[in-house]
Amino acid sequence: MIVEKLSARGPLGRWLPEAAAVVGLLIFPSVFALIGGTADMADRILIWGIFGLGFDILFGFTGLLSFGQAAFFGSGGFMTAYLLIAGVTDNAMVALLIGTAFAAILGVIIGALSLRRSGIYFAMLTLAFGEMFYFLDISPLKEYTGGENGLSGVPATHVGIGKWFVELHTPEGMYWVIAILFLIGFWLARRIVNSSFGAVLLSIRENGERARTLGHDIQKYKLAAFVIAATYAGVAGSLFGLFQGYMPPDGFYLETSGQLVVQTIMGGAGTLVGPTVGALVWIYLRTALQQLPLVGPVWKMVLGIIFVLIVTLFRRGICGGIAILWERLVGSGVAGATAPAVAVAATDKSPRTRAPLTGKVILEAKDLTKRYGGLTAVDKVSFQVVEGEIRALIGPNGAGKTTFFNMLAGAIPPTGGEMFFRGERITSAGSTAICQRGLVKSFQINQLFPSLTVWDNVRIPAIARTYGKFHPSMLRDVGNSEELNALIAQSLAAVHLSDRAHAPARELAYGEKRRLEIGLALATKPSTLLLDEPTAGMSPSERQDTIRLLKSVAAGVTIVIVEHDMDVVFGLADRITVLFNGRKIAEGPPDAIKANPEVRAAYLGNPVQK
Amino acid sequence: MNWSLLWAQLFNGLTLGALLVLVAMGLTIIFGALGVINFAHGAFYMVGAYAGYVAYAATHSFVLAVIAGAAALLLVGIVIERGLIRYYYRRPHEDQILATFGLGIILVEAVRAWFGGISQRLPVPTWGTGAVNLGFLYYPTYRIEVLGIVAVTLVVLYLVLYRTRLGLIVRAGIEDQLMVNVLGINVNRTFLVVFGLGSMAAGFAGVINAPIVTVVPDMGELVLVQSFVVIVIGGVGSFWGALIGGLIAGEIISLTAIVQPAYSEVMLFAAMAIVLILRPQGLFGVQGRQ
Amino acid sequence: MSRESRKGLNRRSLLKSAAAVGAFPLVNISRSWAAEETIGNYPAGVKGDSVFVGVIVPLTGAYSAEGADHLKGFQLAFEHLNNGGGLVSKIPTLSGKGVLGKKIVYKWADNQTKPGPAVQAATAFITNDKAMMISGCSSSATAIALEKVAQRYRVINMVGGSGANETTGKDCQRYAFRSQPSAYMAAKALAPAIGKELGKNRKAVYLVPDYAYGHSVFDSTSKFTEQQLGWKTVGQQLCPVGTADYSSFLLNIANSGADVFVNVAFGADSVASTKQAKQFGVLDKMKMIVPNLSAFQGKEVGAEIMQGVYGTLDFWWTQAETIPEAKIFVDAFEAKYKYKPRWLAHIAYTQMLVWADAVERAKTFNPVSVIKALEAEHKLKMPLGEVYYRACDHQQVRAVPVVVGKKPSEMRNPEDVYKIVGLTPGPDVVPPCDSTGCKLPSY
Repeated sequence: MIVEKLSARGPLGRWLPEAAAVVGLLIFPSVFALIGGTADMADRILIWGIFGLGFDILFGFTGLLSFGQAAFFGSGGFMTAYLLIAGVTDNAMVALLIGTAFAAILGVIIGALSLRRSGIYFAMLTLAFGEMFYFLDISPLKEYTGGENGLSGVPATHVGIGKWFVELHTPEGMYWVIAILFLIGFWLARRIVNSSFGAVLLSIRENGERARTLGHDIQKYKLAAFVIAATYAGVAGSLFGLFQGYMPPDGFYLETSGQLVVQTIMGGAGTLVGPTVGALVWIYLRTALQQLPLVGPVWKMVLGIIFVLIVTLFRRGICGGIAILWERLVGSGVAGATAPAVAVAATDKSPRTRAPLTGKVILEAKDLTKRYGGLTAVDKVSFQVVEGEIRALIGPNGAGKTTFFNMLAGAIPPTGGEMFFRGERITSAGSTAICQRGLVKSFQINQLFPSLTVWDNVRIPAIARTYGKFHPSMLRDVGNSEELNALIAQSLAAVHLSDRAHAPARELAYGEKRRLEIGLALATKPSTLLLDEPTAGMSPSERQDTIRLLKSVAAGVTIVIVEHDMDVVFGLADRITVLFNGRKIAEGPPDAIKANPEVRAAYLGNPVQK
Repeated sequence: MNWSLLWAQLFNGLTLGALLVLVAMGLTIIFGALGVINFAHGAFYMVGAYAGYVAYAATHSFVLAVIAGAAALLLVGIVIERGLIRYYYRRPHEDQILATFGLGIILVEAVRAWFGGISQRLPVPTWGTGAVNLGFLYYPTYRIEVLGIVAVTLVVLYLVLYRTRLGLIVRAGIEDQLMVNVLGINVNRTFLVVFGLGSMAAGFAGVINAPIVTVVPDMGELVLVQSFVVIVIGGVGSFWGALIGGLIAGEIISLTAIVQPAYSEVMLFAAMAIVLILRPQGLFGVQGRQ
Repeated sequence: MSRESRKGLNRRSLLKSAAAVGAFPLVNISRSWAAEETIGNYPAGVKGDSVFVGVIVPLTGAYSAEGADHLKGFQLAFEHLNNGGGLVSKIPTLSGKGVLGKKIVYKWADNQTKPGPAVQAATAFITNDKAMMISGCSSSATAIALEKVAQRYRVINMVGGSGANETTGKDCQRYAFRSQPSAYMAAKALAPAIGKELGKNRKAVYLVPDYAYGHSVFDSTSKFTEQQLGWKTVGQQLCPVGTADYSSFLLNIANSGADVFVNVAFGADSVASTKQAKQFGVLDKMKMIVPNLSAFQGKEVGAEIMQGVYGTLDFWWTQAETIPEAKIFVDAFEAKYKYKPRWLAHIAYTQMLVWADAVERAKTFNPVSVIKALEAEHKLKMPLGEVYYRACDHQQVRAVPVVVGKKPSEMRNPEDVYKIVGLTPGPDVVPPCDSTGCKLPSY
């Protein structure tokens, strides 16, 4: 239904947000004036909006909370102001470009250092860098930055050609310059979040580790997002200095970084317009409250109260709240549905017959060992998997199956031994590279992208498969890629989830989630699939379905499966490897394993589940 | 190199660090056990100092001022946990940061509206006036006593954390929050108590610091940032981390002051960045907790 | 002047002829002419029967106490200018019925002790409220930022609290006037007084907050104490602004071998560093000098510690005992606000009156004319005695009070913290015009 809606909207629908932005920016000054807003405030709101567009890509879409964005805002602003004051250039736009480039370069450096950590530690690193930049501004570089006085006297400049020009120093004239830059920024940001690049950013927010194991170089993606945010910050900072004719040291304050976070979350992270709405509320209230009779002297306290209320009541910020309300009023949400019509058209392909066993070794482990301190989890296990076979890996709890698996998938580095895939050494290649070579693992505990739809979930591995581990194409709408859509549709069909394509992953039933988990791995078009207890937690009937599913999937794919359920194992496997206490104790066809006394002994204390 | 100055600064770094430890402890307990990043921590510290000031003005007893500061914040902590924080346990870190950040603004401005921006005086207690000759150094008596106060406080905290059931739960929470929930412990009440205790620690630190620093509405701003630096250097959520982190921070400030005083504060951030890049979980942190 | 009157004539004759043609063209032509004659908000801002003044003060952040005092000074001044009373009745040009017959309307904005919000508020006052004058601020960074805003929009700025030399030095502006003594003036006034009390050949160590104002005060004070008193500067201890714990700096200071401690820190920083200096015994070993005392420092630190501390202030209320104008101001202020005014209130109050006087003398709100009236160096009797603005750098030439902290036993009431030991005449302390680095931009 959503798909129909979307396609019905056609090209007009695709441009709707931009069109809305144009109309909004055109009428904003006059509407804003009705509530006492001024051109000066409007300019500030849009500058913070531009700042926020970049930050939203970093925080709202990639999930990286930075407390150091002031470093880029200030650097861009001071560079631009300095160039104009020192007379290096008298063209404001040239100065702005250089200032922005400067901020972007700093973004590369600070990003590369900060992104070595994640979560709260990443936030603290950015805070530390932000504070160091503030110090540089105030003390060692004060010759250039004016220290705590800032840089004033940015020369009056205008942009334009011939007699068509806009004075940058009147708030009204500046509004249109800022509005146009905002529009460009908004358009770019929308392209970015709708591109394959943007899709991967979202997956990093949702489950970065999973994105990594599906073949994405998430460090590069994160760094790119960081640099994008720094670039937007540079533009905003430059505009800030230009329009005031003055670049205040406030640009580097921790409070500037804080205000950005506040406005973004209050307005609604992950919505692109949220930060602008947050800036509107924050900047307008800050001015308006001061002018109210009783509230005036305690304006900041009242602002604090309003702010806490907004954060408490609107879980996804003002824009998120409005979106939820809208969905309730209008019915099922259009937001987030990005699957094109081709999704429905794609149908289940007829089950293929299994490829013949070539006898060629595809995956090999030699004396693979993992020790944790004194404990040896996996002890010199060697095994060879032949192309096209289904290999089961069994053993009682604690036998080292999962550890062995994680080593094969590159999730944990082995302590000793070697691994080869298709003849290439992959011992220390890491999960991303291993996945890119066609060896991928599905997890025992579902590792999905919970807020994304099923379709968008599968898109993540499809992108890795189609475009490689890092694909910084930011302007092409990912929904328009026939190649991707075909792969997604095919993968969904393979795990029988085609009709659930538009449901968010978190709303799926357990069995569906398990199938999606396998679907994610399948969409990387692996030549070898590592399945870690694919039927864990399933009802008996679901298990039967899954076995059938795996059999159909097995066409042309080599499978290594860890499984407790012996029905599954003996129903599927060509050969079985048995681990016990970290060591391989047996290997062979199912019948031989069933008869093996050592295996029986191993399972005695830990009876075979039946 | 002036050796006596070096010894003096080393010793000063210790007392400076002790005060930082005291201030950071409340923050790290709340974060460690509840996973709440309390941006109102600086404001709590400030309210504690003001409560102490009010009590002192009324009674002229420093001991009563300390008790008042701690008790007031226990109360404030409990009210705020029930009224606000508990709605945030299941929400992302960012939301908690924002709510507590807003709460901090409200507290600071409420105090400013009531007391004005002028700084208030809570003098050094009579048993802490004057200075002591340590041989290599002439040092304020009160600061040396603070060293003792901090030591006693830490021992008490240690006993609570490592010798009581509550402490066990708190520490378990630091290790694995899910586990605590699974064990069916009355999480609700425990969280209330932990938040109250963490707030109380902030209030206590506020009063103890009040005779040294200026008691103004904005006094918590710097403290908040420094506390973050301390617990990040030491390892977020770790008792020993906050202790060692605080002492390291104190020494960094003091030793930088010998060479290049104006750089003393920025060196803290540089140190934090270096620690984070080289040893992400902090010196004593639990790996994996983020 | 002649150019203006010629234009005015042209305009009038044009208007007449336009009026003959019809009402519609009249509107257009008058507009186009008005646009050409506009200077800042003149005449748009004086069309009604009131004029707008924008007040920008810190009500949150580090200087919120000073800002509250500052704001009260403004409110008292506007009350007196609009309704009579106070010093207004002593100044012949002022009527007590507004300025040039127009009521003064004002709004205040909180600059949060930061230049960014200050500039934002000033811009809003100028562009939206058509302010004819802006005033306020309590830090030099904010002051300098606002001076430049005033120059850009060609609106007069009566600078509030700002002690840095740059304010009327290299950053001076045609549209900005400053009344507070610069660091240079304070130091020059201070040197003879402390020379008399503390003697020559002393060794001084400085605690200097690491920003322009701090360096400015250090340069001026060390220069005058070295030149005039033969003192030696044995140490300069830089510290970050906003430090809470000064122990590590104070150890260095205690270790410096000096016998005079010059504390340049300001506001809450000064209170903290002074308290801690006492605890570290620095004040027992050394005499302390605070070149620029914060408004409430005496009260905040307490007489126990402040006794014997030397410093300067823009204004101290005990001047009311010797100067009638000071008494009028202090009494009026205390009657309304129930405490003795501090120097930020004094700056606000006197600046507003001086500006109003200049407007009355210029007989127009046209900023160029008002600036020229201020630059005429017309002397006015104010709580500091006679004051006027120098034409060369727009610094007010005014007496500088030098004070010393009283012993608790000498205090007559809790606010009686300082004794005035000298009131150095303004002309003796202002820097030579050619040494300030000030180049006033055009009108």
